[in-house]
Amino acid sequence: MASTSTNIDASTQPAPAVETGRLLVSLPLLANGELHATLANLAAAFPERTILVATPSSLEGSASPAPDTLHLLAYTPTAASAISWILTAADYVNAFRLAEENQATACLLLGAESQSIAPEALRALAESVLHADADLAIAHYDTGLRELLVNSGILYPVSRALFAARPRFPLAIDLALSLRMAGKLAATAQKFISLNQNDALIWPVAEAASVNYTIAEIEIGPRTMPQPAASDLNSLLAQIAGSLFAEVDAKAAFWQRARGTQPARLFPLSALPAEAADITPMLDAFRLAYTNLHGIWSLVLPPNSLLGLKRLSIMPAESFHMPDNLWARIVYDFILAYRLRTINRGHLLGALTPLYLAWVASHLVLVRSGTAPEKHIQDLAAAFETDKPYLVSRWRWPDRFNP
Amino acid sequence: MWQQVHDSLSQSAHRVLFKLASFLPGLVALLVAVLVLALIGAAVAALLRRILTSAKFDERMARNSPDAISDWSPSGSPTLLVARVAFWVCVALGFIIGISAFDASSNGSQISTFLLPYLTHSIGAIVLLIIGNLVARFLERSVLIGAVNARLQYARFLSLGIKWLVLVLTAAMILDHLEIGGAIVELAFGILFGGIVLTLALAVGLGSRDIVSRSLEKNVERTESAPDADSPAQPETLRHF
Repeated sequence: MASTSTNIDASTQPAPAVETGRLLVSLPLLANGELHATLANLAAAFPERTILVATPSSLEGSASPAPDTLHLLAYTPTAASAISWILTAADYVNAFRLAEENQATACLLLGAESQSIAPEALRALAESVLHADADLAIAHYDTGLRELLVNSGILYPVSRALFAARPRFPLAIDLALSLRMAGKLAATAQKFISLNQNDALIWPVAEAASVNYTIAEIEIGPRTMPQPAASDLNSLLAQIAGSLFAEVDAKAAFWQRARGTQPARLFPLSALPAEAADITPMLDAFRLAYTNLHGIWSLVLPPNSLLGLKRLSIMPAESFHMPDNLWARIVYDFILAYRLRTINRGHLLGALTPLYLAWVASHLVLVRSGTAPEKHIQDLAAAFETDKPYLVSRWRWPDRFNP
Repeated sequence: MWQQVHDSLSQSAHRVLFKLASFLPGLVALLVAVLVLALIGAAVAALLRRILTSAKFDERMARNSPDAISDWSPSGSPTLLVARVAFWVCVALGFIIGISAFDASSNGSQISTFLLPYLTHSIGAIVLLIIGNLVARFLERSVLIGAVNARLQYARFLSLGIKWLVLVLTAAMILDHLEIGGAIVELAFGILFGGIVLTLALAVGLGSRDIVSRSLEKNVERTESAPDADSPAQPETLRHF
């Protein structure tokens, strides 16, 4: 078994009192009030430690001085990114450069709206890298039942099945990195920067897993998640799913060898939402797509999956259910088509949107019927793991018969 | 008199046979030139394929130009595209050399002055046909997927309209390039293109009025029913990211 990472939960470990490393905290561009709230949280999180806080925000005109334990570094980013709601290649390059220049041994990268993270969570993230020998500590958010659905439906199951890595939020925006992990991510990010793709997404879990670095997952509780400026689901899904598919393509040599399933997670039994979500628009979108995009889907999906979609298209809303293995096969076939360029990649990712909406509708129907949302997500991830041999087989011999 | 008829017939037959005899070496030269250049083309294509494969050309192209070239290449491989272009350039060169040889062997006939420009125009027309088809298919899919994701009920109709607009435009360009039809083609193209646009406009504006209004109503309903963040009475919204 080529297990790639050891996952540890550092949130329960007691915080050591002795300062053993130099920590750099890299903040995004924040408004004045948000910056001060974040600095106050950082000061509360590390009362006995002097830490470096790098921020591109202007510190001039600031009414209240920074706490004594925080050494502020105002810097101009060498690489700038237009995206602020998620970490991009530019963020990793800037953070590593600052960490190197200031002889930091660990780096804490915080995303937008970081003022909403509790001091204990900040401390737990940093300590897991400074003292628990983890190379990557990744945040585990306490999200609402209908939040981060792309993560639940695509990113987490694919990441868990292919990279054999446990983190529930592979594209988390709050990370703690050892210096070597920061260097690894910056090296990957630099390739995109040199191609003038500063907004490219980097997948820390895949990077860490592929070089067998230790990954820790830290429960950080509720956090305000920043939202993208543009609310166009099609383009955002294409951007994120496209980046994940490209990462899967790039790491093919690793994930074909990585085996093993993740142990069942302990998940909180979330209370069901008071009001049921309206799934009619999503079902309408799926049915409209079924009548129009069938020809395009048939270039990508095998007959079995098309039959499953046909059944779905005539299913009534109240009993609408997409089987987990059908969704796993669909995602895997789209990954394959992305690799083989069966159709234009923009078209391919555009054709995924209605299928994703069908999965969301199915998930919501299941939740409405009393299934705990997290249980469904874990079952889905297990279905992705079970079907991994299908992906490996078709990846190696794509011209073989499609079931 | 019969003698004169016989003479003129035999002279005519002699002339035709002589012409044919002088025509055949040229034809053989044309075929040999095409065959030899096709073989050279195949060798060049194989060599290029091997060199580019060993240089990981496809992977470099995929990294440096995410979609542009690979999507238009056969089997999504820029290496194959380069190899095939090299092969067909050699074949076209063979034709040009063959026609010149044919011309030289046919004692002063001006076949090449007539055929060569037509051959180059034909190659141009074939290139136009291929590009036109690719663009039509690309735009058809783009419009179809975009319209379906925008939840337009008439997505299929719109995409077919775009596809046929591009195909008609391509056909007109090809005929114009080959100088076939002259003003008739321009006129026919104008009528056909204008007709398609008018049909689309009328169909969307009048024939599909109900569909359009239903589609627009649904959009308005969606916008109006979009929950207000400040209103606690609204159900919890879906957040995909």
